[in-house]
Amino acid sequence: MPSLRQIRSKISSVKGTRRIMSAMKLISAVKLKRAQGLLQAFRPYSDSFEQIAKNLALRCDPERHPLLRRPEGRKKLHLIFMTSDRGLCGSFNSNLIRKIETFLAVDAKDYEQIGFRFVGRRGRDHFARRKIKTLEIRVENSYIGINERNFSNVSNEIASGLAKEFVQGESDEVVLVYNYFKSALSQVITFEKLLPIESEEKTGDSKPVDYLYEPNREDVLKFVLTKYVQVRLERAILESITSEHGARMTAMENATRNAEDVIKKLTLLFNKTRQAIITKELMDIVNGTESLRKGGME
Amino acid sequence: MADKLELQVITPSSLVINEEVDEVVAPGELGEFGVLPGHVAFITLLMPGELRYRKEGSERKLIVWGGVSEVRDDKVTVLTDNVEDPVDINTEAARREAEAILEELKNFSGNPKELKELNRRLKLAQVRAGVGVRE
Repeated sequence: MPSLRQIRSKISSVKGTRRIMSAMKLISAVKLKRAQGLLQAFRPYSDSFEQIAKNLALRCDPERHPLLRRPEGRKKLHLIFMTSDRGLCGSFNSNLIRKIETFLAVDAKDYEQIGFRFVGRRGRDHFARRKIKTLEIRVENSYIGINERNFSNVSNEIASGLAKEFVQGESDEVVLVYNYFKSALSQVITFEKLLPIESEEKTGDSKPVDYLYEPNREDVLKFVLTKYVQVRLERAILESITSEHGARMTAMENATRNAEDVIKKLTLLFNKTRQAIITKELMDIVNGTESLRKGGME
Repeated sequence: MADKLELQVITPSSLVINEEVDEVVAPGELGEFGVLPGHVAFITLLMPGELRYRKEGSERKLIVWGGVSEVRDDKVTVLTDNVEDPVDINTEAARREAEAILEELKNFSGNPKELKELNRRLKLAQVRAGVGVRE
């Protein structure tokens, strides 16, 4: 049985942990609120952009613009893998990593080549450790230290790189892998095709009525499609950032609660131990006097 | 055919307008264009300029910073980087900015892309400066 002093020091260490957890929870809550505000304001914009870009894709021949190109045969896939930089956010990263590993194990053979860009340290580190022979992790394809202030610049940079590679045929399909923010309690892992831009709507035999373009179709396509890739990427990064804060807040809340349970249990143990010691001491005294008394009677 | 238009003006940071209106006039790349109910499907790039819309007889104005606009099925969607209420604009500062950009253009020696960006900023500054005068 541990001594009273050991239990006491254990209790105070758990209390310290609890304080840290609950502070982290509060910080995440503030960050979450901020990110969520940005995200909710951004969603209608990116949704509308998506709608317009897909409407255009539906109405235009894929030859009209290189971003609409539909490659044939075995493709070169490029994945944008979005994790967080830091841990302590529950299963946020591990679920993503598990999903992508399953994907690589099952679907990789359908592709000629798979490339990566990493947003966030965790994903990069995972694959750096794992050492895939075909996978070369370079500095220019990982982005670290992204937060709700600088994500816009970063996503523009990534978007222009992606578009260039796609146009030059270095990649044939670009897929975003990220946590979609549903609520602080629930984030949904999402695989989403970014390029080529195509509409999910089935047109059947007849093409829908084409737009009137101003100033001309080429300029409109160029502006809308290029911007769409940027906006879509920005949205995904923002979803991921918001999810991360949500996941961390929830994880820290659970951790705080767990710490409280542990403190309760330890306190109980402390009291029991103390009581046992008191009882033991009392017994000693009683036994002592008893034996003295017996000795005196004889 | 509906006799109203659904107007949505959206920026990255907010859904500025989402209402039923009678008429929309927007600054297209090839000049201003008006949209009434029953307009054909239409998509255009927007210049920085004045967006006007009429609702129940009264007309309202906004400054949009350029972008793209889609008209489809009596729905007008305007996607722009930013919008401003003309009342909030510091026209004096905007005028000074326009002058500064003009000055920069005189000694310009960059590439065509930078020139295009500079011209866009000039147009925006001029639009922002001009509104106050007309009010």
